[in-house]
Amino acid sequence: MPRWLLRRTLQAALTLAIALILLFLLVHVLPGDPLAREGDRALTPQQFEALRARYGLDRPLASQLVVFLVGIARGDLGVSIQYGRPVTELLIERLPATLLLGGAVLLLNFTLGVWLGVRQAVRKDSLEDRWITTLSLAGYATPSFWLGLVLAGFIGVRWHLLPSGGMRDPLGTGGFAATTLDVLRHLILPAITLSAVTIAVTIRYQRTAMLEVLHLPYIVTARAKGLPEGRVVWVHGWRNALFPVLTLLGLWLPILVSGSVFVESVFAWPGLGSLAIAAVGARDYPVLMGAGVLAAGMVVLGTLLSDVAYAVLDPRVQTS
Amino acid sequence: MARWTLGTWLGTGLALTTLAAGARGARAQDSPDRSRLVILIGGEAFAPVPTLNEGAQSATANTDLADQMFLHLADLGPSLLTAGDRGFEPRLARSWTRRDSVTLVFDLDPRATWQDGVPVTAQDVVFTFARARNPALAPKLSNLLRRITSVTAEGEHRVVFRYTRPYSEQLYDAVFHAPPLPAHLLAKIPAESLATSAFVQAPVGNGPYRWVRRVPGEFIELEANPSFFLGAPAIRHVIFRLAGDPQASLNLLLGGEADALETVPAPRSNIDRVSAQGSLRLVPYLSSTVGFLLFNQRDPEDRARPHPILSDRDVRRAIGLALDRTRMVRSTFGNLAEVPYGPASPMLWIRHGAPAPARQNLAEARRLLRARGWMDHDGDGTLDKDGKPLALTMVLPSSSAFRVQLAQIAQAQLLQVGIRLELTVVEYQLWNERRTQGRFDIDFSSTRQDPSPTGLTQGWSCAGSAGTNPARYCNPRVDSLIEAATFATTNVQQAWVAVLRQIEDDAAAVFIYAPTSLAVVPRRFTNVRIRPESLWLGVREWTLAGATSRPAGH
Repeated sequence: MPRWLLRRTLQAALTLAIALILLFLLVHVLPGDPLAREGDRALTPQQFEALRARYGLDRPLASQLVVFLVGIARGDLGVSIQYGRPVTELLIERLPATLLLGGAVLLLNFTLGVWLGVRQAVRKDSLEDRWITTLSLAGYATPSFWLGLVLAGFIGVRWHLLPSGGMRDPLGTGGFAATTLDVLRHLILPAITLSAVTIAVTIRYQRTAMLEVLHLPYIVTARAKGLPEGRVVWVHGWRNALFPVLTLLGLWLPILVSGSVFVESVFAWPGLGSLAIAAVGARDYPVLMGAGVLAAGMVVLGTLLSDVAYAVLDPRVQTS
Repeated sequence: MARWTLGTWLGTGLALTTLAAGARGARAQDSPDRSRLVILIGGEAFAPVPTLNEGAQSATANTDLADQMFLHLADLGPSLLTAGDRGFEPRLARSWTRRDSVTLVFDLDPRATWQDGVPVTAQDVVFTFARARNPALAPKLSNLLRRITSVTAEGEHRVVFRYTRPYSEQLYDAVFHAPPLPAHLLAKIPAESLATSAFVQAPVGNGPYRWVRRVPGEFIELEANPSFFLGAPAIRHVIFRLAGDPQASLNLLLGGEADALETVPAPRSNIDRVSAQGSLRLVPYLSSTVGFLLFNQRDPEDRARPHPILSDRDVRRAIGLALDRTRMVRSTFGNLAEVPYGPASPMLWIRHGAPAPARQNLAEARRLLRARGWMDHDGDGTLDKDGKPLALTMVLPSSSAFRVQLAQIAQAQLLQVGIRLELTVVEYQLWNERRTQGRFDIDFSSTRQDPSPTGLTQGWSCAGSAGTNPARYCNPRVDSLIEAATFATTNVQQAWVAVLRQIEDDAAAVFIYAPTSLAVVPRRFTNVRIRPESLWLGVREWTLAGATSRPAGH
C-alpha cells in the first residue's frame, strides 16, 4: 500500500504540474490586456510601460511562467492587478463561501442523490422510478444559469420566499444562530440550482450500479436467509454498488472550490466563482491563475482520494 | 410507497418554507430602521482612499466609497461648470480667493476634523498633493495635476496653490481630483506601502460617513459621522452591497434586499418592472456617456497607410448623413437619450452652446458618394469603385445590448444608400484589443467623460495614445483649438464649442447617443439628488420622508 500510494501521489503531482503549465499558457494567450482599460486614459505611454513593468507584463512569457512556478513553490500567487492585493488573501477571503456552497451541493448529492438512486433501483419500473427518472433528467437538461434566473425570479423576487441573492442580509443584527439561519436561507436557491445537474448524474449512476448488484447471487442468498430487506439493500447491496459513485465524488470535488461561476454570478454569491468571472472580464492574470491552481489542485486531489477509497474498499485495485 | 414518498417531499418542502419564513431577515426595503440605505455596486472596493484610485484599480466603487468618507475642498455646483471660480460649492474649504492669475488661496473650515478627532489642517492638503503629484505613486493623478507647480501651507488653515500659467480650470484641478488625506496618520507609512497598509482596510476620513466593516465579496458598511462639521446625515447607515451581475443586482432590488442602484440594466422593459415597485422610484440624472461610430483613419492592414475608404472625409460625412440618428435613439432608448453634437456627453457643460446635430439627408449622402466615384456599377445593391465594394466592418462589444441594437439599425439604414456594413460583435476584452490595435473600419465606441472638457484631448487630439485614440484621428487645427480652449480665460464655452464644431466638420465620428441615466432610489427618502460626477455624493443630504427637519448644518 505505501509504495502504491507513493507512486499515485507522484503521478498526481506530475499531473498537477502539467495542468498548471497548460493553464498558464491558456490564460496568457487569451486576447485582451489587463491594463488596457478605458480608465487608463490619462496615462502617458511611459507611465503605461512603467505600470506594465510593475506587474511583470513586459517580460517574455517564459520568464513570467518561471516567476509563476517559483511563486507557487513559495506559496505566493502574486498580486491582483485589478485589486492591488495579494491573490492568496483574496482566495482565502472567498474560499469559505465557495466551500459552503460546494459542500452543500456535495452533501445533497451524496445523501439525497444516493438515497433516491437506491430507492429507484429497489422499485424498478414503478411509478416512483419513472417520475424520479423524468425529473432528474429534466434537471440534468436544464442549464444552471437559466434555472438560477427562474428560481431567483419567482421564489426570490415575485414570491419573496427566499433571498434572491447574496450570502447574508447586510442589515442582519442577530447572534450566531440568527446569522447561521440567515446564511442557510441564502444558500437554498444556489445550492438547488447547482445540484439540479449533478444530482441527476448521481441518481443515475447509483441506480444502475444498484440494479447490477441486486441481481447477484449473494443478495438472493441474503434474502433467502431471511435478513430484513433494509439490511439486504443498504448493508449487503449498497457497499458493492458504491464504486461508481466514489468515482463521481472524486470528479466533483473541484466543485468545492470552483463552484459554478454562473450560479455564483446569478445569485451574487461571494465565492471564488464570482471572483474568477470578474478576473476573466478584467484579464486579471494572477487571480485567474490563483483560482486555476485551486481548481486543478482539487481535481488532482479528488482523483487521488477516489483511487485511495477504491483501494481501501477493494484491495485488488492496489495489486492491479 | 408512493404516498410515503409524497409525504417526504411535502415534509421537506414544509421544512424549507418554515426555515425561509421563520428566518426572514430585515429586508432593506421594509427594514424597521428606515434610515438605512443599501446601495448596490458592481465591483468590490479594495482601496476607497484618494490617490490610490489609479490604473487597473480605478473602480467606480472605490470612488463611491471614498466620496462618503473624504471631503473635497469644494464640490461642483448644480451646473457642473468646471471653468472659473464661481460654480463650486464650499466643502472642506470655507472660501477661496485669487491672489493673481496663477495663485489660488483656500481657507479651510476650522470646524473640520478627522474622524479620530484631530483637526483638518493645511498640512493635510500639502501632504496629499505631494503624494498626488508624484508620478511614481500616482501616475494618472500626477498627469491630471501637471499644471499645479506648488501647494503650500500658510498657517493652520490656509493653503496656497500656484499654477504654471493662467487657465480657467485652476480651481477645478485643486478641488476635484484629490480630496485631502490625514497627514498625521499617513506620514509615517512609506508612500509605496499605503495601498497595503492597515489604513486602507479601515480608512479614517473627514466626511459625513465613517468606516464600520467590510465583509469580503459581500458589502461594506459605513455609519453616519455624528461629529461631521457640516451636520450629521439623516441616513445613519449606508451599506454598499456587491453584485457584479446586472441581473443579480436587479433581482436584489426587486426582491427588496437592496434600496438603490446607479442605473437600470437593459432591456428597457426593466424600467417598467422597477416603476411597478411601490417602494422605489426612478431619478433621472445626466449621464457622462457618449456613444459614437468612430471612423478609422488608418488602414487596418497597414497602419502606416491611410484607410482606403474612410480617409475620405466626404465618405465619412455621407455615412453620417445616411443615418437617422433620432430614430435610432428613440427606438433604442425611448426618450432617455438624445443625439449629441460632437463628443459631448450630457454631463459636459460645453454642450449647452453647441448647435443642433445634422439630420438624416439621404439625397446629400448619395450625392457625396457619387461625387467621390462610389456607384453601383454591377447592380448588386452595394456601391463600388474601381471594382471594390463599399463594404465596411464595425466592431462592438457584446456586453452592450444598446450598442448591438443600434448597430443593427445602422446596418439597415446604410444599406439604403448602398453601403454594406458587417457587424463583428465580440467579447469586451477582445473588442478592446481589436480597437487598440486599430483592427477595424468603424468602432462603435462608448466613452465615459470627466466633468472637464479637457478630457477631449485624450480621444480627439494628435497626442492621444493608441488606447485613447485608436482611430489615429489627428487634425492640428483641433489641437490648436483645444489648446486655445484649455487656456482661455474668457469666452471659454465658445472656445470649446469651436473644438466640437471642428471635430464634427471633420466627420471624425458619427455621434449617436448621449443618454439620460435613471438611478433607482427608495421612496422613503426625499431631497434626493443624484450627482453625475459621483452618484451617491449627495446621500448625506437625503432626508427621510415625513421627517420634520433636514440634518443640521444644511
